[in-house]
Amino acid sequence: MPKYQIPIVDTDIHERVQYKDILEYLDEPYKHYITNCHWIQEKHMPYTQPAVAGVDRADAIVPDGRPAGSDLKFMQEQLLDDIGHEIGILTSALDPSPSSMHGWHEMAVALASAYNDWQIENWLEKDERLYGSVHIAAQDRDAAIKEIERVGSHPKMVQVLLPIDDIMWGDPFYHPIFEAAEKHNLMIGMHHNEPPVYYGKWPRYFIEWHTLIPTAHMKQITSMMFNGVFDKFPNLGLMMIEGGFTFIPHLMWKMDQQYRDLRHEVPWLKRKPSQIMKEQVRFTTQPAEELTKKEFMSLIEQMGTDEMLCFSTDYPHWDYDSPYRALPNLDAELKQKIFAENAKAFYPKLPKKRRANNERASSL
Amino acid sequence: MKEQVVCKTSDIQPGEMKEASFGRQGVLVCRTPDGEFYAFMNQCIHQGAPLDKGMICGATTDKSKPGSYDYCHEGEVIRCPWHGREFSIKNEGRMLANPSKKIPSFKVRVEDESVIVYK
Repeated sequence: MPKYQIPIVDTDIHERVQYKDILEYLDEPYKHYITNCHWIQEKHMPYTQPAVAGVDRADAIVPDGRPAGSDLKFMQEQLLDDIGHEIGILTSALDPSPSSMHGWHEMAVALASAYNDWQIENWLEKDERLYGSVHIAAQDRDAAIKEIERVGSHPKMVQVLLPIDDIMWGDPFYHPIFEAAEKHNLMIGMHHNEPPVYYGKWPRYFIEWHTLIPTAHMKQITSMMFNGVFDKFPNLGLMMIEGGFTFIPHLMWKMDQQYRDLRHEVPWLKRKPSQIMKEQVRFTTQPAEELTKKEFMSLIEQMGTDEMLCFSTDYPHWDYDSPYRALPNLDAELKQKIFAENAKAFYPKLPKKRRANNERASSL
Repeated sequence: MKEQVVCKTSDIQPGEMKEASFGRQGVLVCRTPDGEFYAFMNQCIHQGAPLDKGMICGATTDKSKPGSYDYCHEGEVIRCPWHGREFSIKNEGRMLANPSKKIPSFKVRVEDESVIVYK
């Protein structure tokens, strides 16, 4: 029996591909570049993640030695069944991260398609609870739109994933991508890959970089806001994944104050930025700072709404948040919103009613 | 349950740790490099991670200066498998970053080849 007594919609689960697993979804010549030329995604960080097992929970490594997040059965045992998830949204390990590639966009486009096919066949169609994210190579905008058209109507794809890295996504060049997403009832999910949080470079220590990730998320919200994405696409929503949430009141107040003074520059904004955030931007909770209930409720009050936060575990990464322990003990109604209802209200393609346990199948 | 044999001394080599049961309680039995045994609750006080899935290791110390690491206490520190929080085995299971917090511990004695945990 699942342990948790209220339904959980987990908005950030990292499934992981091993390159050998996507070969069958790649055409030549791309397959050759991985098989024979040992292509791997470019990485920039000078550090490892200095926990016990790098980026992963040490106990999430698959018992046969494969990397954490690479095996559905083990994920079911350790996460979905153990906690009793109603819904989990896959956000990938951002490796490959096609939109983060700084060249060779043909390869990025091929990888995005291969990843989507692998994700659909091996995860979305194997577990009723899992929903997915469409990967695109956004630098090749027209190919990205084609990919959204190709897989965006899959009933279990709920968002288009964009990495937070070194592209500001509010730029009008990318707006046709948002148009395509909106057309398919897909939201935009943004998750940091390796954003250069330190003036385009790297701070000396991982702890500095990791502390400053929220600043990269704030930049993207600000870019999307003042470039008018939310007014241009009123049915589009933005889920900011794994960047924290305690900065939200600051950003709302700051953008509102700037808007009152400088609206002249961005006349396409028809609503107050804080209002737009309340209506169209959501945040996953992990990694939650350790707040008391009083501190947490004060934050909610400052946001002016309790509908922006959506619970996430970040499984199987080292800074996983336990649904039992990560947040203070909230009142039942608020708990219900944060753990499930807010995400269901945000993603148009998620089922709204809770499935009974006996209706759940471990595979379709 | 007042006391219980949780394992044999030969089950845990110096510098290793192992999960065991003390009644219904999951305990983490640690053996430091000097051969001594210690036992703690096998659950991180932060978010409840199973500590036996973490590692027993050393730690960078407060003697480190910016730009230069001092690393010692090998085999005397437990690191949580999730968030990497560090607990000193020889200092009552206290968290290195916040010594006012500690993992609940149990008393341990060795009789012949038996490791006995008691309250």
